[in-house]
Amino acid sequence: MNTRFSYTLLILVVVFTLSASFIAGCGNQSTNQGSSDLSGTIAISGAFALYPMMGLWTEEFQKLHPDVNFDVSAGGAGKGMADTLTGAVDIGMVSRDVNPEEEAQGAFWVGVTKDAVFPTINTQNPLLADLLKQGVKKSTFEGIYISGEITTWGQVIGRPEITTQIHVYTRSDAAGAPEVWAKYLGKQQEDLLGVGVSGDPGLLEAVAKDALGIGFNNLGYAYDAASGKPVAGTTTLPIDINENGRADADEILETKAEAVEMVASGKYPSPPARILNLVTKGKPEGVVKAFIEWILTDGQQFVGEAGYVQLTHDQLDAALQKLR
Amino acid sequence: MENHLSALPEQVPAPAIRPAAIPWRQVKDRLAEKSFFVLSLVPILLVLMIILALLLRTRPILEAEPFIDLIFGRTWKPLKGEFGFYPFIVGTFWVTVVAMILAVPPSLLTAIYLAEYARSSIRSIMKPLLDLLAAIPSVVYGVWGLLAIVPWVQDYLNPFLSRWLGFLPLFVSDNPTGYSILAGGIVLAVMVIPFIVAVTFEVMRTVPDGYREASLAMGATRWQTIRSAVLPQVLPGILAGVVLGSSRALGETMAVLMVVGNVAKVPSSIFDPAYPLPALIANNYGEMMSIPLYDAALLGAALMLLLIVMTFNILSTLVLHRLTRRSLV
Repeated sequence: MNTRFSYTLLILVVVFTLSASFIAGCGNQSTNQGSSDLSGTIAISGAFALYPMMGLWTEEFQKLHPDVNFDVSAGGAGKGMADTLTGAVDIGMVSRDVNPEEEAQGAFWVGVTKDAVFPTINTQNPLLADLLKQGVKKSTFEGIYISGEITTWGQVIGRPEITTQIHVYTRSDAAGAPEVWAKYLGKQQEDLLGVGVSGDPGLLEAVAKDALGIGFNNLGYAYDAASGKPVAGTTTLPIDINENGRADADEILETKAEAVEMVASGKYPSPPARILNLVTKGKPEGVVKAFIEWILTDGQQFVGEAGYVQLTHDQLDAALQKLR
Repeated sequence: MENHLSALPEQVPAPAIRPAAIPWRQVKDRLAEKSFFVLSLVPILLVLMIILALLLRTRPILEAEPFIDLIFGRTWKPLKGEFGFYPFIVGTFWVTVVAMILAVPPSLLTAIYLAEYARSSIRSIMKPLLDLLAAIPSVVYGVWGLLAIVPWVQDYLNPFLSRWLGFLPLFVSDNPTGYSILAGGIVLAVMVIPFIVAVTFEVMRTVPDGYREASLAMGATRWQTIRSAVLPQVLPGILAGVVLGSSRALGETMAVLMVVGNVAKVPSSIFDPAYPLPALIANNYGEMMSIPLYDAALLGAALMLLLIVMTFNILSTLVLHRLTRRSLV
């Protein structure tokens, strides 16, 4: 009896102390950070292409304004757009152009940075050396992804006697990368051939596991963030931009830095290079507006660090004008 | 003693007070009954409201295109205004049928073992483990399918089966990747096995031991007893379990989406990629806002799926009903 009583007492004391310190703690927090003008939670969802960049931005913004919390998730540009228009999130990350239908429903957008989509293949590809030496013309990609006339890797390098099949992969979810890739080939996502895999990382994984696979990935996924090299097991397939039948030095993008340079200089075709947008429902206000404004000004210093391509000053100014 | 006895008759008038108290107890009882009734109406109303909402939202596309064209159309190009659901409906059934073919035999054998052969100590270990299998989130199954099943199908099953059984159209392979109906079916099969086992096991336990004892007493072996005395009793119940498993398989989204290849073409072999209805909705609801009639089409897909699953559920309920009325009571 006695021990049980003292146990009960002990538990009560512990609970009381905890709750007291918790309440006190809350009180302290609110007084300590009364100096910060911004507070609230910003929910963000959408493009895989912007997800790593957004991670860095939210982190840095939180250092300046600790009372602002973020809830960021990646699920493709389409999801970002739908979530924004239905009010499920405050900001949608959209890695493609905004359609007129979406604008009609109140979508407001500003471009915040730039990246590109790169074709990826497996490093175990039996014709890897030839592919890297020759590069691949746009018309060949059309044959692989749109018309389906090109089905073997031999056809790609101009040696039809080699009949190793191409395993074509595309994205199954509605997203910016397939939309932009299709646009490069003059079509839309629904016209792309190939087995559909969900998500940017999923598509890369499929190519990494399949020696005969071909896919396409955003800058931030095609290259490893730490090493700047293509992700293990995969490499980017050079696009023969000037169509001279071989991959020139600037068409071979061995590192992320080279890829960024090509996109920034405008030599890499656009599409598949494209501006990445932040979308809100109607013009943003309050903390959401402050955050986007910060991204367009001070936030731009982190763009290079995260491996994205900065917009020109004119583009950024125009975006700021639009926001204000 | 005497006092005590004489006190009893004195209590007899007490009921005179009770009639006044009983109505309140009964009122409480009634109130409870009515509120339970209202609460149980909520889910039913919810289903009706969902169907109604889906119907309303689907109307634009039903008005724009004839129903038959939607169901049997083979081209899915929403941007060009072509909404053919046929590949998706067929894909849904293919994946489900493959899953059930793979899942039903091992499920039945497992259930028979657990209900008839296993010692209670083994049963008490295996049953919770099987139930755990049912509790694993579907995305985990999807990742497992992606990492283990897709490469396995691509490197071993596909070359092997298409080489030896390639004379059957069902096993002809022109999809060199492992993302296929078979991969989806295998993942789904593992997911529905615990459901089928659970239902079949419970139904077999309802067979009175007297049946088994009588059969065994006549010199029948264990298996003869199961086959002639137990199974005939529970056949409708097993059917209900299978139907229940199928409706779960029909609606499963995430795990299937990750391994099935998502190509909107009518499949002709188990190595072809397919595009089941749930995957269609999950993949594309993002674009819903952007393309005219697209939201109506996707919600139409949802409606179709709901109706298919509902039919399966109603079937299973009917079968269970027959079982309890005819064989056991």
